[in-house]
Amino acid sequence: MKKAMVFALSLTMVLSMAGCGSKKETEAPATEAKTEAAKETEAVKETEAVTKAAVETEGATEKTTSEGTYKAAFLIPGTLGDKSFWDSGNDGLTKLRDELGADVFDFKVEQMGGNAADMANYEPTFLDYADSGEYDVIITGSWQCVDGIISAMEMYPDQKFILFDEEFDFEGNGNPETMYNIMFKQNEVSYLVGAEAAMMSESGIVSFLGGMDGKVINDFLVGYIQGAKDTNPDIKVAVSMVGDYEDSAKGKDLSLAMYNAGADCGFNVAGNAGLGLIEAAAETGKYAFGVDSDQAALLPEYAEFIPTSALKNVGDALYTSIKRDMAGELPYGTTEYLGFAENGVGLVEDAHYEEIVPEDVRTKVDELQEKITSGEIEVFSSSTMSTDEIEELKASVAVQ
Amino acid sequence: MWNSLLTPEFYNSILRATTPILFATLASGVAAKSGICNMALEGILLFSALFGVIFSSVTHSFLLGILLTMVVGGCIGLFMAFFILNMKTDEILAAIAINLIATGGTVLLLLAFSGDRGSSTSITNVSAPVLVIPFIQDIPFIGKILSGQNVLTYLALIMVVVMHLFIYKTPLGLKIRAVGENKNAAESVGISSRKIQYISLVLSGVLCSLGGYFLSGGYMNMFTKDMSAGKGFIALAASSMGGDTPIGGFLVSMLFGAAQAFANMMQLTTIPVELIQMIPYLTTLIGLAIFSYIVMKRKAKLSGK
Repeated sequence: MKKAMVFALSLTMVLSMAGCGSKKETEAPATEAKTEAAKETEAVKETEAVTKAAVETEGATEKTTSEGTYKAAFLIPGTLGDKSFWDSGNDGLTKLRDELGADVFDFKVEQMGGNAADMANYEPTFLDYADSGEYDVIITGSWQCVDGIISAMEMYPDQKFILFDEEFDFEGNGNPETMYNIMFKQNEVSYLVGAEAAMMSESGIVSFLGGMDGKVINDFLVGYIQGAKDTNPDIKVAVSMVGDYEDSAKGKDLSLAMYNAGADCGFNVAGNAGLGLIEAAAETGKYAFGVDSDQAALLPEYAEFIPTSALKNVGDALYTSIKRDMAGELPYGTTEYLGFAENGVGLVEDAHYEEIVPEDVRTKVDELQEKITSGEIEVFSSSTMSTDEIEELKASVAVQ
Repeated sequence: MWNSLLTPEFYNSILRATTPILFATLASGVAAKSGICNMALEGILLFSALFGVIFSSVTHSFLLGILLTMVVGGCIGLFMAFFILNMKTDEILAAIAINLIATGGTVLLLLAFSGDRGSSTSITNVSAPVLVIPFIQDIPFIGKILSGQNVLTYLALIMVVVMHLFIYKTPLGLKIRAVGENKNAAESVGISSRKIQYISLVLSGVLCSLGGYFLSGGYMNMFTKDMSAGKGFIALAASSMGGDTPIGGFLVSMLFGAAQAFANMMQLTTIPVELIQMIPYLTTLIGLAIFSYIVMKRKAKLSGK
């Protein structure tokens, strides 16, 4: 009896895990977050694609898997529908497929799930995909995937990989000639947010809510501080770290503490916990800058408190990388840093932005962006700074 | 920064941080009194945070929303009790299963209801209202702390007294304690231990669901993925540190809340953030050490006589 129950229980657990990943193996265009209109066109496209495929299968069955098709596997350590990173990547690849046709370029999305329990599956998934040999390139992103990808690289030295948003250490890890590494210059876009916050702040205090004290978050932070300081040398920057990316309630408390201490513009870089900053801004009537996706559009209730959002253009980056790879021009074995010049990062600049942010601020921001693009302004980066230098920078603008 | 400690906002943030932990602590206490360690608090918090948003948006009513959420909390307690008591599953295993179902299940349900996977921004939920107490709110400083809190914060404080009276002054409370102390002895005088444990687990689920509702409709005004963020486990610790009594649990959760609010304030200083993030846990350790020292002293005194 007891054994049977233990079995039933483990079944429940397995089912629950299956539940959270039930959308795994979805073919690419099935992103939920599409408007009705988009869905319809999508449906039309899909039927077209199906008919096309059907015609092709009638003609020559082997053609679909023939060498002419460039196939990519997009393995994400999370799920689609995040309205940010992974959706952006999926959109970029979908755009490329729509443009070139599914017989020239096709891709498959594997949603590996983002829970702690899913992490154990990353490595086997990479190995499976590399082992199948069907894919010209395997694309993935963020730090969780690095270990899995390294072991796949070591076992399959001919398989090509693209890794974005986490610096890859080419020294001694697999065949470096098979890895192309994309990094985003989040510090550049963060500089603009800092400058904008400093210009919009009336109290002379701006705030920053980070997830964890780590390299990427600090890259955002140093850019933000530099941007704010260059614009207003007397600016104070209140900095808080949630300690994780989930605890939105704690994020809200930290943000309220910063807003109550006088800050009137904040920047959240803390995943879901960062939503706490936006709620705190709405509650105190202050401003909060968004990150990773157009948060003003995603949170219409709070839009009036969100002037703009800082974006990493994952989709564009993948789109260009694949195109370059098809032309044989992708520099494997190197890490490329995509900033404003490469259209790797950017601010949301739409009607909403123009409505909230005064024109003189916007012009100034555009000028700064040009200066960064041309290299006239060199933005600090956490990757070239020591911990002491970062602490020093933080201390120089600390609220006392 | 030190001036901030003297503002009413600081004390408000203590109460805010304490509320969800306090509900879960009381929930843990009542289960523990009946002899079951309810480790599923984390999962119940997360489920009820989600269902709070869903129900209040469907019914457009705070009261209906919270009532239905309490029903869900009770059902999870019932479900757990069924597995533990009827099916003889290990209570820790059952709790782990519920917690795991919660992390994945809430995302799945969220997706079904809102089409989102990260947060419930597209659902308009009804948050628990803030209660302004006339006259008291006019008292300088203290008025701003005592008045203008969330209804659920007041309810949590009231529940401390209610649970204390329930456990120590009612026949059912006596039975719960009897079952928890010694199941066989309780059975020998005709108490159905299964029935009593069923009741305490359901009660535990209902209490915990109030904390969950507060998370997404009071603390925050939306559900975000994994938003319980370990609060259920903190409550478990708070409860056992407080000797599984409502009053003890209340004091410890206030301590945790205060430590968290203090740590939040400290982040405005230049002290390294890693040190600051240790404060709540360090407080726990120190508190635990003091607590067990007192208990040890008392025991030594008793045995010495």
